[in-house]
Amino acid sequence: MRFEFTPEESDFKRQLSSFLDDALPSNWHGPADESRDDHWKLNQDIKKGLAERGWLVMSWPKEYGGTDSSPMMNTIFAEEMAYRRAPGHDRFGTRMLGPTLMRFGTKEQRSKYLGSIAKGEIQWCQGYSEPNSGSDLASLQTRAVDSGDDFIVTGEKIWTSLAHRADMMFMLVRTDPDAAPHKGISLILVDMKSPGVQVLPIVNMAGVHSFNQVVFDQVQVPKANLVGELNDGWRAGMTVLNFERSGIDYAAWALAALEELVDYVNSEDSLVSPTKSDSNVRIKLAELYTEVEASRLMCYDVSWRQSRGEIPSSEASMSKVAASEAYLKVLDYGLEILGMYGVLEPGSNQAELQGRFFKMRLFYTSGPILAGTNEIQKNIIAQRGLGLPR
Amino acid sequence: MDFGLTETQELIRTSAREFLGERSTPSVVRAVADGDSDAITSLWKEVVDLGWPSLTISEEHGGAGLSFGDLAVLLEELGASLAPIPIVESTISSWVLERFGPKSLKSDLLPQIATGDILMTPAIVERNASWDPNSAKVVATRSGSRLVITGEKRFVSFSEQATHALTLVRTDDVEPALVVIPIWQSVSVEHTTLKHASGIPVSSLTFYEAEVPEGNIVAIGEGAIKATKELIAAGGVARSAQLAGLGKAVLDVTVKYTANREQFGRPVGSFQAVQHHLANMAIAAKQVNHLAHSAASSFSRDGYSIKAAAQAKIAASDKIATLCWTAHQCHGAVGFTWEHDLHLYTRRALAWKTDYGDSAFHKSKLAHAMGL
Repeated sequence: MRFEFTPEESDFKRQLSSFLDDALPSNWHGPADESRDDHWKLNQDIKKGLAERGWLVMSWPKEYGGTDSSPMMNTIFAEEMAYRRAPGHDRFGTRMLGPTLMRFGTKEQRSKYLGSIAKGEIQWCQGYSEPNSGSDLASLQTRAVDSGDDFIVTGEKIWTSLAHRADMMFMLVRTDPDAAPHKGISLILVDMKSPGVQVLPIVNMAGVHSFNQVVFDQVQVPKANLVGELNDGWRAGMTVLNFERSGIDYAAWALAALEELVDYVNSEDSLVSPTKSDSNVRIKLAELYTEVEASRLMCYDVSWRQSRGEIPSSEASMSKVAASEAYLKVLDYGLEILGMYGVLEPGSNQAELQGRFFKMRLFYTSGPILAGTNEIQKNIIAQRGLGLPR
Repeated sequence: MDFGLTETQELIRTSAREFLGERSTPSVVRAVADGDSDAITSLWKEVVDLGWPSLTISEEHGGAGLSFGDLAVLLEELGASLAPIPIVESTISSWVLERFGPKSLKSDLLPQIATGDILMTPAIVERNASWDPNSAKVVATRSGSRLVITGEKRFVSFSEQATHALTLVRTDDVEPALVVIPIWQSVSVEHTTLKHASGIPVSSLTFYEAEVPEGNIVAIGEGAIKATKELIAAGGVARSAQLAGLGKAVLDVTVKYTANREQFGRPVGSFQAVQHHLANMAIAAKQVNHLAHSAASSFSRDGYSIKAAAQAKIAASDKIATLCWTAHQCHGAVGFTWEHDLHLYTRRALAWKTDYGDSAFHKSKLAHAMGL
């Protein structure tokens, strides 16, 4: 066993960090709010910068413009991006759709879409959840009806992050309503500018327009946009989710927030300085640091297993549960330290740490919910990992 | 990062698992808990033949020269089997002796520890149960070239089996000193046996003008504090590795039980309420395992990571006891019985939770290392 990075890995981390030093505004604290035009521009600029340096899709095979980087490298990349709260990562295109197209897409689809993802030109969004299909995703009802060269798509998707900025959506639709739930689903690619697509903003509890409801009314989608076999979309669609489920973002965000708290507690300028000699504060921060490091190591264990060709489904679920919970514990404790100031929102007069902790705590209420609730993850751990009966 | 075992580590795991599976059975663990010290002696003789006390001792001093990270793999197995043998006590004593001791003492004692002729156990804690090295009060009076030691050390593991105690004392000129004191059948050492939850022999040792030559001083002054801190950190990491193994073992028996026990016509392990208990246990066991190995790997002949060592013991102390209580809940009434082995694990977990510094102790250390 070895718990250090290789020189090559450390080198890369340094290069990425120094790129972000230049790319991010000097007083950047994040997180980005992509509904703001300035933050969206920052997202696009960073995405282009990452693409130019070959980092955006470095995990991809060389033939698609990647560098075949190791899962460990990819985790270092994701960790550093999240640690700096930097936008521009484009996980929908680079981490989810790209690898799925490589495995299930036609030659035409691969040549048409992979290049633009690699160059950071096209923004993708993910159309999975529906108003009546959350954790029970296989019950989804959005219909795609065969109409010669096209599918006619009608239905609703919801909780769609970045739909308001996206050019394209990869979505799961029901193509055989008479088959068993998992058997009648297909994965298709939809141009968001198609007639009949309507994007309705949903503002989250933190006051951020981060996701949307997307209504499809008789939308024409060429059959050439079907990914994989007809009615075999569940398999392709789940491949996407395997790329989605890792805790590393949360672990990195948690570490960044924890370090902010340590600095805050140590700073002479802090208004509520529960001074560093307060043993309750010291002990609690040490406990949180332990939680964060424990969940971080789980994420690296996942990438280590991936690099050995395993599909560490249960371990990935464990890392997501542990890291998302650790992050919320850090944010909760941040609010506790800030006391009366903890509930001042960003933009408020006299706010401490720019009201960031309050906003982040509300925003990341989504952590244990999205990408498979933590309850669903625990089912996966128990059933796939521990072999318990369904 | 590499979470895989090296060839050496794989060998350690396989052979330890096989040996302990046969020799450190629940009936042996129970016999030792009931005071059968012959069971310890015969088990210890066998592991000495396997070379376990010599693993981390340098080749120069007759050991195998393996790393602390390698040792952690063995410790996991010892924890999983609740093996009632003083590997941790012996290894961390020899580790600190080799790191901080004078040359002559090392070349005298280390080869004998490697062959099992000497069994050394740490004696640090006193009446106030504190792991703060600065609170030691046992007095060592200088008398010519000898030290005369008087006072009481508490919570000394395997003191009945040990030949020597690695003891933190305070000299009459108020300097702390870490000293090797022979205790085997010594007339100036009294053993007070404790009824300890760990199920292994734990005693208090009272020294009545026990005399040792100055050459038995491992470290003195600031050096003694530093050496003792490393001893406690190594002990805490070692307990963490044992607790990781223990936690995994408890998880395994609980998965097996809930997958087979049927109620309402189906295995209770098919209920989400039970599955989520088990998922939480699996996460905790894995986290403690990673932190323990990360911390153990940080130990080298030059030092160790203070942060990683503290994190390992914090997580192990907090999470494995909780894991055991959850296992009882999942077992229902049968896990509440004396006859069932589950409480053997729980008792050991509770004992190790406080050994070499509890979670609060290590949180304070970690906070300091974080700049707080």
